[in-house]
Amino acid sequence: MTRVLAAIDNSLAASPVLAIARALAPLLDSDVEVLHLVENGDRMATQAALAAGLTLTSRRGPVIKSIIEAGRCADVAVLVVGARGTPAGPRPLGGTALAVATGLPKPIVVVPPDAHITGVIRRVLVPVEGAPAGTAPILDVVEDAELDMIVLHVYEEDSLPAFTDQPQHWQETWAREFVRRYCPWHTGPLRLETRVGRAEDLIPRVAEEVNADIIALGWTLDLGPGRAPTVRGVLDRSRRPVLLVPVAIGHPY
Amino acid sequence: MSEPEPVEPGRRFEAVVFGWSGTAVADPAEDAGRLRKLVEELCAHGLDLYLVTGARLPEVDGRLQARPVGPGRLYLCVDEGSEVHRVGVDGTRLVHRRTATPAEEAALDRAARVTVDALARRDVPAAVVPRLNRRAIDLAPGTEEPAAAVRKRLRASGRLSLYGIVELATDAALRAGLPDPRVTSDGRYVQIGLTDRADAARWVLDDLRRRGIAPRLVLFAGAAFGRIRGVPGADAPLLVPEASRSVAVSVGAEPAGVPAGVTVLGGGPARFLALLADQLERRRRGDVPDVDDTPDWTLTVDGLDPDLERVHETLLAIADGRLGTRGTPLLAHPATDPGVRAAGVYARTGADSELAGCPDWTTLPGTVSDPTLLRRRLDLRTGVLRQDGPVAALQFSSLARPATVVLRAEGPPGRLPGTDRYTLPGPFAAALSDLCRDGRLDRLGGYAPDEADARAARATAEELGFDRLLAEHRAAWAARWDAADVVVLDGDPELQLAIRFALFHMMASVADEGEAAVGARGLVGGGYRGHVFWDSDVFVLPFLAATHPAAARAMLEYRIRRLDAARAGALRRGNRGARFPWESAVDGFDVTPSFGRLPSGEIARIRTGEAEEHITADVAWAASCYLDWTGDTEFAEGPGRELVLETARYWASRIRLDSEGRGHIYGVIGPDEYHEPVDDNTFTNVMARWNLKRAAALDGAEGACWRRLADALVDGFDPMSRLYEQFAGFFDLEPLLIADVAPRRPIAAELLLGVPRTRASQVVKQPDVLMLHHLVPDEMAPDSLGANLDFYEPRTAHGSSLSPAVHASLLARAGRFRDALAALRIAARIDLDDISGSTASGLHVATMGGLWQALVFGFAGVRPRGDTLVVDPRIPPQWGGLQIRLRFRGKPFVLRIDHQSVELDAAGALALTRRDGHWEVHAP
Repeated sequence: MTRVLAAIDNSLAASPVLAIARALAPLLDSDVEVLHLVENGDRMATQAALAAGLTLTSRRGPVIKSIIEAGRCADVAVLVVGARGTPAGPRPLGGTALAVATGLPKPIVVVPPDAHITGVIRRVLVPVEGAPAGTAPILDVVEDAELDMIVLHVYEEDSLPAFTDQPQHWQETWAREFVRRYCPWHTGPLRLETRVGRAEDLIPRVAEEVNADIIALGWTLDLGPGRAPTVRGVLDRSRRPVLLVPVAIGHPY
Repeated sequence: MSEPEPVEPGRRFEAVVFGWSGTAVADPAEDAGRLRKLVEELCAHGLDLYLVTGARLPEVDGRLQARPVGPGRLYLCVDEGSEVHRVGVDGTRLVHRRTATPAEEAALDRAARVTVDALARRDVPAAVVPRLNRRAIDLAPGTEEPAAAVRKRLRASGRLSLYGIVELATDAALRAGLPDPRVTSDGRYVQIGLTDRADAARWVLDDLRRRGIAPRLVLFAGAAFGRIRGVPGADAPLLVPEASRSVAVSVGAEPAGVPAGVTVLGGGPARFLALLADQLERRRRGDVPDVDDTPDWTLTVDGLDPDLERVHETLLAIADGRLGTRGTPLLAHPATDPGVRAAGVYARTGADSELAGCPDWTTLPGTVSDPTLLRRRLDLRTGVLRQDGPVAALQFSSLARPATVVLRAEGPPGRLPGTDRYTLPGPFAAALSDLCRDGRLDRLGGYAPDEADARAARATAEELGFDRLLAEHRAAWAARWDAADVVVLDGDPELQLAIRFALFHMMASVADEGEAAVGARGLVGGGYRGHVFWDSDVFVLPFLAATHPAAARAMLEYRIRRLDAARAGALRRGNRGARFPWESAVDGFDVTPSFGRLPSGEIARIRTGEAEEHITADVAWAASCYLDWTGDTEFAEGPGRELVLETARYWASRIRLDSEGRGHIYGVIGPDEYHEPVDDNTFTNVMARWNLKRAAALDGAEGACWRRLADALVDGFDPMSRLYEQFAGFFDLEPLLIADVAPRRPIAAELLLGVPRTRASQVVKQPDVLMLHHLVPDEMAPDSLGANLDFYEPRTAHGSSLSPAVHASLLARAGRFRDALAALRIAARIDLDDISGSTASGLHVATMGGLWQALVFGFAGVRPRGDTLVVDPRIPPQWGGLQIRLRFRGKPFVLRIDHQSVELDAAGALALTRRDGHWEVHAP
C-alpha cells in the first residue's frame, strides 16, 4: 500500500494541504500520512489533522531535510506541501516548499494557502506547450482514473502561428492535430483550451475559469535563475493546487 | 545450351529498347519465331518494345513478323533513326520520318563521292549504296565478305584502318556542308547520314515521356556498345544523355569494354530472349512496377514519425479530380488518419456540412510492426504512390478514369487478403475486387454515388486490367504535365520540387467534367469542411484556365449551377442580381459559421458571411479570366454572360450615391479581415467597378447606368501620393508597421497585438489594395504599384496563407527580387514544411495557385490582353530563366524565357513578336 505524505506546518495553510491529500489518496489507492516538523508548537497542525480525520505524526529536526527524507521512502507516491504560510496575492513560493520541491525527485503537490478544495479531484488542467509527445504529467501519477482533462495551450510570442486564415476553421483543424500530436495519452473526451499571452499568467487564470481541481505540470526540478519560468510563475500565482511531476530534460514547462 | 543466369537488375521495366542483329537475332536469316512470340506476349501484358536498327523495314519486319494486339506497343525504329513504324495487328504504320532537303541529299552525295575517291587513291575499293537519309559506303563491293573479314583485310593492308576511314568520311561530310553528320560503321559499311540511332533513342524517350514513362523505367539492350577497332559500336549512339537514368545491358562479347553505366551480360541473343522471358514472367505473376525517383519529381517519406504522420499523409495523397485518397500506409498504425473523400459530396447541411468520408480502398490486413522499414514515394509525374516495407505496393486513382482505383501489392503470407469481390456502402459507394495469388494482389475498384454504378466501374476496371489502367493513367498525367509544367532554369532543386508538388495537387484536385467544387483544402483532408471560398475562383482557376480549360470550366459550372441560390442571397438582402456566398458547399447558400472559437479562447462572431462580399466580383473575374485564356464564345454568350450581368446587377443595387453623386459601398470586409466591417473598401469597390464595366460592355439597356455607377464609385486613390486608401479612414489608424514590431513574418498579428489594437492600426492581414494590382492591374493608376508596395508591404502581417505568393508576384513585377524570392519560398513551403500547423487536415490548394501565379504572372509577366498574350518578364539574377507550358485560345505552347530573350515553341500555331519593350504571343 502506498502513501500520500502530507507535510504541514502549524498554520491555517495546513487544512487545504490535508484536503488535497485526502482527495488524492483514493485516486492512488493510498493511505494518507500527515507529518509535522515542530518549530513553534503543533496546536494548529493537530487541530487540522483532527478536523480532517487524520492522524498527525509530529517530529523535531531540520524541516526541509526531514521532509525530503520522509518523502524519499519507497512507498510514498506523492508528497503534498503548502506553497507558503499565508495567502495575500501572488507571492514567491515559500522557502520550505521551494527547497522540498527541488530536492525530491517525486511527484509533489504544492497547495496555496487559500486554495479552493472541493474534496474530490475530478477536473485536471494540463498545460501542454507542444513538444514531442509524452504522457500527461497527471497520468504518470494517477493511472486509470476517470478524470476530466482540460488541456491548455498558450500561444506565447515565439509560438504564435504564422497564419490563421479563416480562424473559425483554422482553429478547428489546428486543434485536431495538436491534440492528436501532443495528447496521444488521452483515451476519453478531452477539451482543448487555447489562450494568447504569457503562460505563467494564463495558466492560473484559466484554472480559475474552468474550475480545475488541480493543475498538472511536468518539470525538471530546476527553478534556478532563468529556468522553468512558467512553473515558477504558476506556483507563485496559482490559487489551485499544482501537481509537479518530474520529467526528462527538454520537457515543456 | 545451358540456361542463362538470372538476369540483373531483377525488376520489371515499363519499356525495352533493343537492337536487332547481334542482340535480338544472331543471324538476320535465322527464324525469329521465339522472339516474335515473346514480343507479342509482352505487348499483350502491357510492355512497350522499341527495336532500333540500321536495317530497313522489310528486312526487319519481314523477319520478325510480330503482330501484337496491345496494350503494349511495338515500334520498329529503322534506317538508322530516320523512320519509326508502329506495328499492330494489321501490320506496320509509319509514324515518323526524317525527310532530307534537296540540299542535304546533294551534300550526302558529295560527301560519299569524296570519300570513295579518297579510298580509291589509297587502293581501298569502295562503292556508294544510297539509303534513306544516308549513303552507305560499301568497303567490299560486289562481294559477300563479312564485316570481320573486311576489318582484317584493312588491317593487313596497312593502308587505312576502319577508324581512319570513319574519320575521312566525317571530314568529307563536314566539308560537303553537313553541320551534324552521323558517321557510323559496322565494319563492312561506313555510313554517312543525317540521323543515327541516337535520333531513334531520343524519339523513343520522347514518345515514352508523352506516355508517362520516365527513363529510369526503361531498359536498353544491345550487343555493341563498346568500341570495335577504335570505332564506336553500332549500339553506342543509343546511350544519349537523356537516357542516363535508364538501365543499359549488353548481350555481346564487348572485347574492348563498354562505356560507364552499361552492364555486360554476354550470352548473345539467347541471353536477350531470356531477359524478355524474365520480363514476361514478372508481368504474368504481377510484379509491382517501380517508380522513377528523380528528385525534382518525387516526394519521399521514409519511416513513420507519429508526430508528422498526418502531415505526410496529406502530402503523399493521390487524387483524380473526383476522388481523393490520403497517402496512408497500407497496414494499420495508431498514428495514421486514413481517408477517402469525393468532390462535392458532403455530409450534413449548413455551416456543419463537411466533405463526407467515403469507404477506404487502401487497407490491407495487419499492422506496421517496424515503421523504420516503411518508405513511401509519390511520383508527381505519374500520380502513383509506391509503398515499400513488409508489403510493396503501387496505387493510383485514375486520372484517365476518375473514381477508378487501382492497387497492386506483393507481400508475405498473411499480409494480403484473399480473392474477393465486395461493395462498401457510403455517400460515395465503393465496389472493389481483390485478386490474390502467390503473394500478389491486384485490387481494382470503382466509386460512384450509386452502388450499381460503382459495380459497373469495377467491372470496366477488371476488364481493362492493371497494365492497361496504369498505361492510360500515366498517359493522362503526361498530357497534363505537357500542358502545365513550369521549370526554373538553373534554379533551386528544392524550389523545383515544390513547384511540381503544387501543380500536381492542383491538377489532382479538380475534375474536368460536370461541376468541380474545389474546397479550400482540396480533396485530401477534412480541413475547412470542404467549403468553397474565393480561394478557388481567384487562386486556382487561373492555373487551369491557362493549362487545362475543361477543369476551369467545371469550376465555373459549380458557380453557374448555384446562380439561383446567389439570386436568392441577393434578394434576401433587398438587392438585385446575384450575390455569391462567402462559404459555399452543396446548394450554393451561405454556410459560413456565425460564431467561431478563436485561438485566444474567445467565442467571436464571424462576420465574413454577412460582409465579405467581394467574392461576388471575384467569381465574375474568374469567369472573365477563363474567357481571356480560352476565347470560349459559347460560354461568353451563354452562362458566362448571365453570370457577369447578374453580378453587376448586384453591385448596381448595392452602391449608394451620396449627395455629390459619389458611389459608396458601406459595411463590407475586404481581403484584409483584420478590419471589419469597413466602408468603401478599395478592393471591393474597384472589383465592383470592374464588374460593372465588364457587364456594361455586354448589355446596352442597363449598360449606361452601370457605366455611370462604375465611374461614380470612389476608390480611395490620391493622385499626389499615388496611394490607394484601403478603406475610408484607414490612413487615420495607428500607422503601425508590423515589420517593425513582429518577431517574424508571416505572423497572426491579431494574436500578437490583440484584436482591438490590430483593428485600430494599419496592420493588414494580406494584400488588399495590392491584390488589385495583382488581379486587375489595368484598373489601377499607372505607375502606382511602387508607392503602394512601399506603403502596404511593411504593414502586411501575412496572417493568411494566401498572402506571400501575391507579394512574391508583385515584388517580382517591381524588380525587388530578393524580397520576391523570400516570399515565393514561403508560399512554396507552406504545406511541405507545415508552416500553418494545419496541413494534417488538407492542402492549401489556393496557395499552390498563388505560387503558379507568382511564377507566371509575376516573374514571367504573362497576361492575356485581348487576343494576345503579353510576356513582360522579370527574371531574378539567381535564376537562369523560366520554361513554362501554357495553352492560349486552345493552342498549347512552351515559353522559354531567360535574361535576354523569350522563345516560343508552338509548332507554328502561335507567333511571337517583340513590341514596345515586351513580347506578345498571338495568332500567326
